[in-house]
Amino acid sequence: MPNLVRLFLRRTLPLRKSIVLGFVALASSVSASLTTTDVMASYRDNVEPLFDNYCYDCHGFGTNEGGVTLDEFTTETIQDHELWERILRNTRAHIMPPLEEAHPTAAERSSLAAWIKSDLFAIDPANPDPGELTVQRLNRIEYSNTIFDLLGVEFDATDTFPKDNSGEGFDNIGEVLTLSPMLLEKYFDAAINIVGDAVPTDPLVLPTDTLSGSKLVRRFSSSPLPDDESDDYLQLSFYQPSQRTASYRIDEAGHYQVTVKLKPQSFVSFQGFDYNKCRLRFSINDEVKIDQEFENSSGKVFSYTFDYDWQPGEQSFAFSVEPTTDDPERIKRLKMRVDSITVTGPHDRQHWVQPEDYDKFFPGGVPSAPAARLAYTEQLLGDFATRAFRRPVDAETLEHLVDLATSVSAQEGYNDEMGIAQAMVAILASPRFIFREESPEFLYFFSEKHPFIDEYSLASRLSYFLWSSMPDAELFALAAAGQLRANLDAQFERMMADDRSENFFSNFAGQWLHARDIGSVNINSIEIWLRDNPDPEMFKSQRAYQVVREIPENQRTSEQQATYTRTRAIMRKLYDMKRPKLSPYSELRAMREETEMFFENIIRTDRPLAELLDSDYTYLNEALAEIYGIEGVKGKKMRRVQLPPDSPRGGILTQGTFLAYTSNPTRTSPVKRGVFILENILGTPPAAPPPNIPSLEDAASPEELAQMSLRETLALHRENPLCASCHERMDPLGLALENFNAMGMWRDAELGQPVEPGGQLVTGEKFDSIQELKHILATDRLRDFYYCFSEKLLTYALGRGLEYYDTAALDSMVDALESSGGKPSSVFHALIHSAPFQKTRHPQTSSPSAHASVPPR
Amino acid sequence: MPPSPLASSLNRRHFLKGLSACVALPAFSSLIPSNLSATASARASATSSTGAPLRTAFINFPNGAIPAHWWPEGGLTDFRFNQTLEPLADLRSSVQVLSGLDQLNANPGSDGGGDHARGNSVFLTGVRIKKSATDIRAGVSIDQAIAREVGHTTRFPSLELSCVTNRRTGTCDTGYSCAYQYNLAWKTPTNPMTPESNPRRVFERLFGEGGHGERSANAQARMMNHRSILDFVMTDAKRMQSRLGLRDQEKLDQYLNGIRELEVRIANLEKFGAPADPDLATPAGVPFSHGEHQDIMYEMMLLAFQTDSTRVATLMTAHDGDNRSHEEIGIPEGHHELTHHQNNADRIAKVARIDRWYVQRFAKFLERLREVQDVDGNSLLHNSMIVFGSGNADGNRHSHDNLPIILAGHGGGELNPGRYVQSGSKPATNLFLSLADKMGVSDLPRLGDSTGLLAGI
Repeated sequence: MPNLVRLFLRRTLPLRKSIVLGFVALASSVSASLTTTDVMASYRDNVEPLFDNYCYDCHGFGTNEGGVTLDEFTTETIQDHELWERILRNTRAHIMPPLEEAHPTAAERSSLAAWIKSDLFAIDPANPDPGELTVQRLNRIEYSNTIFDLLGVEFDATDTFPKDNSGEGFDNIGEVLTLSPMLLEKYFDAAINIVGDAVPTDPLVLPTDTLSGSKLVRRFSSSPLPDDESDDYLQLSFYQPSQRTASYRIDEAGHYQVTVKLKPQSFVSFQGFDYNKCRLRFSINDEVKIDQEFENSSGKVFSYTFDYDWQPGEQSFAFSVEPTTDDPERIKRLKMRVDSITVTGPHDRQHWVQPEDYDKFFPGGVPSAPAARLAYTEQLLGDFATRAFRRPVDAETLEHLVDLATSVSAQEGYNDEMGIAQAMVAILASPRFIFREESPEFLYFFSEKHPFIDEYSLASRLSYFLWSSMPDAELFALAAAGQLRANLDAQFERMMADDRSENFFSNFAGQWLHARDIGSVNINSIEIWLRDNPDPEMFKSQRAYQVVREIPENQRTSEQQATYTRTRAIMRKLYDMKRPKLSPYSELRAMREETEMFFENIIRTDRPLAELLDSDYTYLNEALAEIYGIEGVKGKKMRRVQLPPDSPRGGILTQGTFLAYTSNPTRTSPVKRGVFILENILGTPPAAPPPNIPSLEDAASPEELAQMSLRETLALHRENPLCASCHERMDPLGLALENFNAMGMWRDAELGQPVEPGGQLVTGEKFDSIQELKHILATDRLRDFYYCFSEKLLTYALGRGLEYYDTAALDSMVDALESSGGKPSSVFHALIHSAPFQKTRHPQTSSPSAHASVPPR
Repeated sequence: MPPSPLASSLNRRHFLKGLSACVALPAFSSLIPSNLSATASARASATSSTGAPLRTAFINFPNGAIPAHWWPEGGLTDFRFNQTLEPLADLRSSVQVLSGLDQLNANPGSDGGGDHARGNSVFLTGVRIKKSATDIRAGVSIDQAIAREVGHTTRFPSLELSCVTNRRTGTCDTGYSCAYQYNLAWKTPTNPMTPESNPRRVFERLFGEGGHGERSANAQARMMNHRSILDFVMTDAKRMQSRLGLRDQEKLDQYLNGIRELEVRIANLEKFGAPADPDLATPAGVPFSHGEHQDIMYEMMLLAFQTDSTRVATLMTAHDGDNRSHEEIGIPEGHHELTHHQNNADRIAKVARIDRWYVQRFAKFLERLREVQDVDGNSLLHNSMIVFGSGNADGNRHSHDNLPIILAGHGGGELNPGRYVQSGSKPATNLFLSLADKMGVSDLPRLGDSTGLLAGI
């Protein structure tokens, strides 16, 4: 459109002042039931002039940059919530209109936001739509934790069940937690295994003493060991000789069995097969019982059982290991782990004992008189089912369970305990255990459009949010008395102080900040080192080696063989050279802990959230401090470290977790880092790349490309307007971090070219260093961060993706943060009192249901 | 808390001692497959003309293949393998190289980015998947469509395997739920068939826990135990479903579906007797290297076919978009990263080596299938139809037409291997429809974007 015409149109608009006044008047008259005609009318009066002024140059009059059209609304199309949510988000974050164009005043922006929320989204601030949850299936971690709290058994669901689908960045989103037939079978198998392991169905058992973990270590070490050495004491290196002895006292004469479990293990993550072997000898009372050579065997457990007739007294166990190969290629740090020693006996029945936990499951024992036995069974199963289903069990179900127990125990070879245990298997396999149901029947008693959820449901929401597990006895008791809601804040405090809140920190931060993934990240330390310390001779040797090693030895010419020998020696020196590495058991683990501890500290001590972005301290141990180039930190233990005043470190963005996770195996990726910041810090994710992206080759020739630095290559992104709109946002952020290589180490240059971190955000702020960027994010863009954090937290707490009507809850969370100076306690408080967390849609007004008219029982 | 190994206690063994068959099995009509009597086509389900079982499998490899090194030169029967497919040279008479097959629904269209989520999930379904992080909707995959009809012939209707152990948390391919990227097989448009990646668990599921000699008894005891609680959980689920809204009922449907399959498995115990118990050690667990992982999963598939535990299988060797390094062959760069080679010769060569490496593992599998004798004296390979391909064609361009696909096996005599079949431009789903037809599936008029059967294979 010719400029002249645009100019003309602009001049005929009413003065800005009157637009604002119009908004204020409308926003204060909240109407929850505007028809689309009303909305169209109000749009024409209040919003269209604003759009005409600031938006139509690109999004109207036939142009639709980014596929967005803002001048063609009709009563049919005006309710495109997704579009309006984007408009709200982008105008709030000052991304739209772009910096160089005319832009609205702050008052105009907030008026637009208010209009969207009140008229278009039709949010009634007094009673906003709380949305609804699907029945939430327990994910793996929740399942393991719940089993532990219910039965005291450690069941590792992450080892047995397939990985959960995730959505919106988290693995507790009900909608995507599907249940395949295979998973169902696993639930059934798990129920049997768990009950079989936990519930002692024999009132008398063979005495068994299993020594493993720290209990086993204490037997063998004469003096107490510090924590970090204790783990390793019974993991004997393949490469050097060692001995371990222990004594074991027998009190009763009789027949005993000793079972020893051994596990050869490897401790480095990649690079080839370690061929070293060792010989292990195990003796009991100086008699050699095991004398065997072991090699790397992928985690296989070797089990040996020996029988003895013993008199009371001290018996001795002794291990010795000696290496049997001396291959210098000790690639895998192989160790022989003594996993456990189990002693059972005496085997004579008269010495059998009641199992340790028998009383826990069958207090007082099962009565033999029929009436008493029935009552006992009913009581036991009623309690267990209530806890497992997380709400009181109904009479009909209980009757069914008791029948099951009785019919099983009536069978040949089965006792009462086994009958009850089988009923417990049924409970654990039931959908009421596997899914969190929120009792829709209860809601029919209410006439409000958005009733409060019942107290048991509230208890579950709280406990799965903060503990990733079932409610405890105190929460149950309060819910039963209808007093949970009244005591919400006190309970929240208690739950956060409880050890189980560790789950919140590791699961939320683990996924939001990817601390969970850092242990398995794949970074090639050699390639990274070469990139930062380029050596043309080394490159040539490397290339030559790769070519010549592909040729089988018997087919090489003598010249090729000479090249092979020469370059292999160079490669050997390179690999053996002392250089920084990221090992999963050391540096990567420290990175995860740094992120988790840092986050946890800010939440627990109620530090301003801005400190997550820009702080003057972090958590380190010696290994990680070395990666960061920080001196004076010794030992394996992670501890809080005050950073030097000019340090670039401090805050999430300069932590190894973020820096390594967003990199490729052999180099950094500024684009991935930029995207991470947009998605997880600023909450303004870029749109998906458009179809038919022209390739980079079209922009420059291969020779030109080869000469360019990464910054120059990325600058090509911004020459094409199609690419620029997103890359202008992502690239400066990623490039600001280029001083940190893919391992999180500081560097001044890459491939011989100095790094230039300076840049400008699309919202106008300029920075010359990472310190300046962090400061900008923590001040100018703090509100954006508050919104992003609130969104992530609310998504995780609810277990569903957010919809347009959740804006009300988000606003209250952000307002709380702004009023309190960014204190986490304020945002948690706002969250647990918000409508989405406390309420749900009435079943009759929710998604259409064939059973909506069925009254509850 | 650190997990402790599950103690195998006397309690557990006692427990599984075989709950007597006195416990009544709930009478559900769902147990009787609806098409047992329907034999409109003369072809018997999943059986060759010699009466041997007929198997089909679908295997993917990630990120497409360098076209210049994949496609053979020459014509229908006088073609010459190129370097990527060279490992198949010895198996020439048992494979077909297929060109001109497309999965156009994997193209961006109006959905924009996400070619790996699409490449992966469209590969066996042929539909335009729904672009959403939480509201997943794909289509029924070909293996499940086949299993639905022929699954009743074996103890397991189908087997889903994978070599992917490491799933990222967070978001996956631009706006698509991670479910799309980690599943090949889809039972319904909203329920993916989660694959098993631990070879030990695959083995135990097929044959039972414990050592050789104990397994069948263990497997049967387990099934009997499941049977004893079926009545209770079924009632519980149905009552729960009646309380829920429509959207939630779908979730319970998935549960009930699982129950039905379990019932069939229990009934199969009577129908087929105890499962086989191979004289082999149970695999220890997930191997360290990716190459070994593939080898052992291929071996599991072979065992499953050999013991006729199933006749339909899928294997995901790596998800599309996979960015792992291939240290085993000296390539440290990320695979996905390399496939965006920008025409750099060095990077192209590396990708081609990775492509060839995947083909080598597949070739090893085919050789094993050829070694093993089937019930009719032919090899297992003779009585199989195995698809090996990728949902992406040229990884650099994210194209989805002319996909790299190999069809191995003789289909019990129904196929014509040893040829390079160029179909011009046809939906890959036509190939799938043809395979279903040869498997004796009578009730599948179309799949995804299919337009009919594929001629010439």
